[in-house]
Amino acid sequence: MSGLRSFVVRRLLLGALQTVAVVLLVFALTEALPGDAAVALAGDQPDPARVAAIREAMRLDRPAWERLADWAAGLLHGDLGTSLVSGRPVSQYLADGFGPTLLLATLTVALLVPAGFGLGVLAARYAGRAADRLISSVTLAVYAVPEFALGVLLVTVFALRLGWLPPTAVGYGTDLLAHPAALVLPVLVLLSRPVCSLVRLVRAGMIDALASPHVAQARRYGVSGARLRYTHALPGALAPAAQQLARTVDWLLCGVVVVEALFVIPGLGTVLLGAVAERDVPVVQGLAVVFGVLTVVLNLGADLVAHRLAPRAGVAA
Amino acid sequence: MRRPRTGRFALGAVIVAVPLVLALLGPVFAGDPGPRATSFTAGGALGLGTDFVGRDVWGQVLHGGRPVVLTALAATALAYLVALPVGLFGALTRRRLLEELLMRPLDVLLAIPSLLLILLAATVFSPGAVGLALLVALANVPDAARLVRAAAAEAAARPAVEALRMQGETWWRTAVGHVGRSMLRTLAADAGTRLTGVLYLVATAAFLGVGVAPDAADWAVMVDRNRTGLFVQPWAVVVPAVLIVALTTGTNLLFDAALDTGGRRGADRREKEARP
Repeated sequence: MSGLRSFVVRRLLLGALQTVAVVLLVFALTEALPGDAAVALAGDQPDPARVAAIREAMRLDRPAWERLADWAAGLLHGDLGTSLVSGRPVSQYLADGFGPTLLLATLTVALLVPAGFGLGVLAARYAGRAADRLISSVTLAVYAVPEFALGVLLVTVFALRLGWLPPTAVGYGTDLLAHPAALVLPVLVLLSRPVCSLVRLVRAGMIDALASPHVAQARRYGVSGARLRYTHALPGALAPAAQQLARTVDWLLCGVVVVEALFVIPGLGTVLLGAVAERDVPVVQGLAVVFGVLTVVLNLGADLVAHRLAPRAGVAA
Repeated sequence: MRRPRTGRFALGAVIVAVPLVLALLGPVFAGDPGPRATSFTAGGALGLGTDFVGRDVWGQVLHGGRPVVLTALAATALAYLVALPVGLFGALTRRRLLEELLMRPLDVLLAIPSLLLILLAATVFSPGAVGLALLVALANVPDAARLVRAAAAEAAARPAVEALRMQGETWWRTAVGHVGRSMLRTLAADAGTRLTGVLYLVATAAFLGVGVAPDAADWAVMVDRNRTGLFVQPWAVVVPAVLIVALTTGTNLLFDAALDTGGRRGADRREKEARP
């Protein structure tokens, strides 16, 4: 028990450190500018009024550590700052983009788990035969493809050639649930990479588990096919898969940004890209902290679950 | 297992050959760009038509592969240039504190999604191709260094290394001559997956407009900019998109088949070895 507790404490400590690191790194990357930061940020439109406004808004006359302390203190109170461009609070930007992104992420994860485990178990069941070879080759091939290339090709086929689905979500606003057809391609593209990686992992874990002594023993007792696979072998394949599920958060984030840009969905990814293009530092910082902390928390959760499932595996902490 | 492997190897090689040859030799054969025509017209060289500013799509395709491939190769090499010494030193140093000081910050960095890192940097300055390669390399260093350290620690724990140490061999001969050599296989496997990941990241960043000029001859930029004319002139989008798919898929298939020993492979192999 003490081993488990010390692992949990160590992992929580690492999570806390990672959160601090995310905040520090976001600040360092966006504010450690050479020369006059306000001029650099004004970028394409360096008119004196804008430069002065940025200097005022970011309080550039004060030392960096003071600004960092202020910003971090604000974060603790849930105050993410205000936009340089519109003057609106960053939290409002987050609230605006939250709905569509949450919808996309929820749908993707909800489909990812059954699809990943289903195909993985199927491939393991017919290991070495045609079904397995097909699943393995396709997942290996699609695994590496960038979402934008896959997405654009799918749009060409399904929206342009066949006319089955709308090419983008333009005109549907944030109420995407009312237009399920517009969600098919984005979710499909978002699923492509995580599904492939999960299928390959589940397949490998299942093949290992099916060959393990305890499953062989269960087979000798006469436990039948499906029960053998799902109650005896699958739990052994769960730990690495649970971890991979969290690793896909990184991919989902990349994917969401790309997919929202590709299908013109007004979610957090679009807000982030817009802020990057306008050099709206407070908005980018706020979104980056939210995304970064989310990644840290989900990875933490997955490591704890994986440790619970397979305490011997020595999950990296 | 012999036959399917060579089959997959050949398939991967064929798929990756087309975009690779186009990327490396394309600019040689492209010749001078002709005069600009109207945007998104059909016809032109090979019937591929013109792009969003009226340039010949085929000419852009010939020029557009090189930045993707070269940036990805440079970023992969740069990542190992940092990760190899850090990981080797971390595994071979006798001082536990030094190892912790070297490796723990990398664990912390692992938490930051790679595209987020790139977008953050792109907010405050406009990275060129070199900047993009550096950023992508930076995003890959923590993971690569961890992998090197894990592989090296495993090799360094062998009796042979202990014997070399007792014999008074130099650090260089022990680290590079023995430990380095014995983890070549692991490194080659990782290099394959890493190159695939780097290609993904470089292309995606370019698609989002990071590290490239808005009208650059780059397959990913072509996909992005010519999307507006998808319904009029699909070739300007489809051809570069297919080439990017072929490049990434082919690379992945090729490395997977080349390194397949008939046992574990792919994601499974990485999971196993990434863990100390």
